[in-house]
Amino acid sequence: MKASIEWLEEYSDIDVDSVKLGDILTMTGSKVETVEQKGNDIKNVVVGKILEIEKHPDADKLVVTKVDVKTEILQIVTGANNIKVNDIVPIAKDGAELPGGVKIKTGKLRGIDSCGMMCSVGELGLDVNDYPNQIEHGIMILDKSLEKDLGKNIVEVLNLKEDIIDFEITPNRPDCLSIEGLGREVAVSLGKEFKNPRKNLDELNIEDKKEIEGLTVDITAPDLCYRYIARVVKNVKVGPSPEWMVRRLKACGVRSINNIVDITNYVMLELGQPMHAFDINSIEGKHITVRRAKENEKIVTLDEQERILGEDNLVIADDKKAVAIAGVMGGLNSEIENDTETVVFESAVFNGGSVRKTAKKVGLRTESSSRFEKGLSAENALRAINRAVELVELIGAGEAVNEKIDVYPTKQKINKIKLNVDKINNLLGINISKEEMIKILNKLEIKVENDMAIAPYFRRDLEFVADLAEEIVRFYGYDKLETTLINADTTLGIRNKEQNIEKKIKEILVSSGFSEIYTYGFVSSMDLEKSKIKEETIKNAITIMNPLSDEYKLMRPTTIPSMMQILALNNNKKNQNVKLFDLSRSYKNINNEVENGEVPLQENILTIGMYGDDVDFYTLKGIIENVLEVSNINRYEIEKETKNESYHPGRCANLKVGIDVIATLGEVHPEVLGNYDIERRAYLAEVNVTKLVKYSRANKKYVEVPKFPAVERDIAVIVDENVEVGQIEKLIVKKSKKLLESAKLFDIYRNEKIGDNKKSVAYSLIFRNKNKSLSDEEINPIMEAIIAELEKQLGAELRK
Amino acid sequence: MKEKIAKIKETSIKEIEECKNQKELNDLKVKYLGKKGELTLLLRGMGALTPEERPIIGSLVNKVRDEINNLVEEKEVKFKKEELQRKLETENIDITEPSKKINLGSLHPITQVIQEVEETFLGMGYEIADGPEVEKAIYNFDKLNTPPDHPARDIQDTFYITDNIILRSQTSSVQARVMEEKKPPIKIICPGAVYRSDSVDATHSPVFHQIEGLVIDKNISMTDLKGTLEMFAKKCLGENTKIRFRPHHFPFTEPSAEADVSCFVCGGKGCKVCKGEGWIELLGCGMVHPNVLKNCGIDPEEYSGFAFGFGVERIAMAKFGIEDMRLLFENDVRFLKQF
Repeated sequence: MKASIEWLEEYSDIDVDSVKLGDILTMTGSKVETVEQKGNDIKNVVVGKILEIEKHPDADKLVVTKVDVKTEILQIVTGANNIKVNDIVPIAKDGAELPGGVKIKTGKLRGIDSCGMMCSVGELGLDVNDYPNQIEHGIMILDKSLEKDLGKNIVEVLNLKEDIIDFEITPNRPDCLSIEGLGREVAVSLGKEFKNPRKNLDELNIEDKKEIEGLTVDITAPDLCYRYIARVVKNVKVGPSPEWMVRRLKACGVRSINNIVDITNYVMLELGQPMHAFDINSIEGKHITVRRAKENEKIVTLDEQERILGEDNLVIADDKKAVAIAGVMGGLNSEIENDTETVVFESAVFNGGSVRKTAKKVGLRTESSSRFEKGLSAENALRAINRAVELVELIGAGEAVNEKIDVYPTKQKINKIKLNVDKINNLLGINISKEEMIKILNKLEIKVENDMAIAPYFRRDLEFVADLAEEIVRFYGYDKLETTLINADTTLGIRNKEQNIEKKIKEILVSSGFSEIYTYGFVSSMDLEKSKIKEETIKNAITIMNPLSDEYKLMRPTTIPSMMQILALNNNKKNQNVKLFDLSRSYKNINNEVENGEVPLQENILTIGMYGDDVDFYTLKGIIENVLEVSNINRYEIEKETKNESYHPGRCANLKVGIDVIATLGEVHPEVLGNYDIERRAYLAEVNVTKLVKYSRANKKYVEVPKFPAVERDIAVIVDENVEVGQIEKLIVKKSKKLLESAKLFDIYRNEKIGDNKKSVAYSLIFRNKNKSLSDEEINPIMEAIIAELEKQLGAELRK
Repeated sequence: MKEKIAKIKETSIKEIEECKNQKELNDLKVKYLGKKGELTLLLRGMGALTPEERPIIGSLVNKVRDEINNLVEEKEVKFKKEELQRKLETENIDITEPSKKINLGSLHPITQVIQEVEETFLGMGYEIADGPEVEKAIYNFDKLNTPPDHPARDIQDTFYITDNIILRSQTSSVQARVMEEKKPPIKIICPGAVYRSDSVDATHSPVFHQIEGLVIDKNISMTDLKGTLEMFAKKCLGENTKIRFRPHHFPFTEPSAEADVSCFVCGGKGCKVCKGEGWIELLGCGMVHPNVLKNCGIDPEEYSGFAFGFGVERIAMAKFGIEDMRLLFENDVRFLKQF
């Protein structure tokens, strides 16, 4: 909302600079966006009179002039051709400044001294549309009457000085979308008296009628229209508005159209109530109905666009057609024309939400709709229409009929709030007296009677004690609030189990060379296909109704595509040895939760992705083992996974705790790599942190450091290539009579001697009895049993 | 006999002194002290001596043996030192050659800011709370006093899954859940991803991160809010950071404020980051609206509280001098490794 200082001064004395005023108002809640100080950028430009014009001796297109600026006669060379002797013109003297930082200095033009410059409208930073007698390319020729101001500053003579403040008004304060409302804030903020020049507008004695000049009004949608007032003006003379009105409208960013339309806009700016004016002859049957639009009802609005409406939209209609979209824009069919004789002014209040939805639907957010959508006061509507008619008479635009049609089904409720002084002081952490509070409230026209604060009609936002507290603290001063510490019972600030585990996981991954990434939870169907995600997973994806694009249409049921994209990006940028992790979520609609209004499954997933010369499946396996170790998971099974198509079928594993798969890891399937144009091996792992946390057991117990020596034995066996070392280990453990401390694989060896499809696997076994030294007599039978078992179960052959 | 001994002593001392390395020394050891060494041979020849002479010569031989032995040992120590010295000299390395460390990875700047804020508030007795991102509209809007026709609910601003299920547009949704589940006192912060229907550009992203704070207890006041935020700003942004409250409006707080902090890049003098103003808009905050308390089953007559919330990316960008938000989500490892 833009407001000129000049207009605001009608409401309050202003004795501070506009910039300072802006700062003060920002601190009392009317946030200032910009302060524009027009005319400040014009310096040393004065009114001058042309005395002589002669041809330039050396230039056909230039003339040499003598100009009287009262204190002296200046010689000025110009190329302008719209000047003549005795013209009154703006003269930028030596050292003058013009908008845009232009500086004027004495100089020579084709050898002739020129001591200044005559200015055009544009050079003064003015708009030629505001000076209809001037031309764009030529010197501004001032009115002859200004000869009396010779030598005077042009800024003062043309009244160019104007300060305009642009406010960002919060949606709870539609009353401040008016000069009156802002004027009240200015007065209270500056500690001045609020002059309230439009105080008695609702107390005028205007008779209520059912019908005026044949006009009648009905509201058939009282849920969407709370009040509709019409007044009629006869013998209208449509024409231009007076300069003061044009100027004020312009300062607020509104273009002048004609006196009747300007009055509606002026009242809206002044009092915050949007108005509308119709030509009575365009209202068929002279019967206005405020009704819901019919499905697909069409109306051409004032901007000559056809708009299609629905049953949720409210229209102002005559007996045959809609003549306006209520609260949004008038129809072209009822526009005020130059020959309009009788005008109907409308001042109505509509349901805010409905206006907002309608404005969205037709794609028209207007000055009017943006006020209505915040919820306007029905009481103010009467003031506004009376003001409009008052202005009609003031500028002589017509003759008002001293009657009104006022359909007001449900009177606006006035809120009363208990002024609980202690509660307010406690809430704010201040200590001010009841009297001081009442003083602040009264200035804002909030009356207090019997400890009840009565919200004025224009403050529909005041409902609770907290609202009163805000009014009080706004003028007590947010900057005066002290800083205190909470005086309450001590609370424990600790991370919970899951948060601790997540933090530890991140730490260990960073120590292992992994960089953390952040990805969007969105994916496209294409992304899921590219990563060859299983159909049963894809069907859990959640679809966004209003996605930004197809690329962002689904909430990912798996984090794989997100990681693949980032691996691909880094590969594409030729980044070598990339190790990444992402701790974020997957979103799965497994049992139609979303359709049933419940939140779907959202699990925290650790995703690891990497490629590079120094990594392979076992690097990844080691990382995952460490992740499990810091998460206090020490019992898990590793199983080969051959059916997960995102992974290489021979190089993928699942880690299981109990029945839950808590991690899948492996080499990325070559086809998936191909889909992402990655021409090297890459590795992926997904760890379900939500599940992992469930199995985490943090009770570590000290186990005595061994006192008795261990016995170490090596064993090497030749087995078929397809035998997994895990199988060998299991059998070793099984036959070790609980004396095995560790079995460390130290070599896998293949050559022709051993044979095709065979490998030699060598283990170093450590046996220990914690209660005594072990003897060969005890170990030898165990070793024999192990070998026998390996031979029997796996067809192993002892290598000697 | 005595002369022989003296002669052995003399020559052995000379030879040991002149000997150049351990090997020569070993030979001398054998020559004089070995089983067939000269002194041993002398002792063996003692049978020819008179019983009176034997002990005298015997002790003389032993004395000389000890002397030679000492000399040999001294010489050995010397050789060992020399040898170690030579070894150390050959083992000189170029300490400027590259290290063999495991390269460290990095935490994303967003995580770094979140963790720093978490540590600060954990220290002040806050818990960390979390909630669903795919959330019921009721927690994101209704319970937070945001009426059904509020603009924030528009499909232009909020992503919808169904009419009632949305992608949370603010971490405040966690507030409502915690208030429903727990009885006061409540002191929580909730970091997390939020979603708004903004196209990607240098300052916007449809996914970004917020940290929300909520305190509910008896007698919580607005000055407590200001004090808490000031403490947070000083811990996270620098000891000299100042905080400024300006009135504002949010549906879920009343009174509401926007809090500015003195620019933590220039210290308030005015720079590019604060656009010359010396202040940076940090967060929105206020006293929890009585309707919100009521909606979540807390009696506004008995309890009061404050809430605040801010965007993580903006702080990370200002803190690390990142000018384009897209860099945070591009995840080029050359970018990530800088943090």
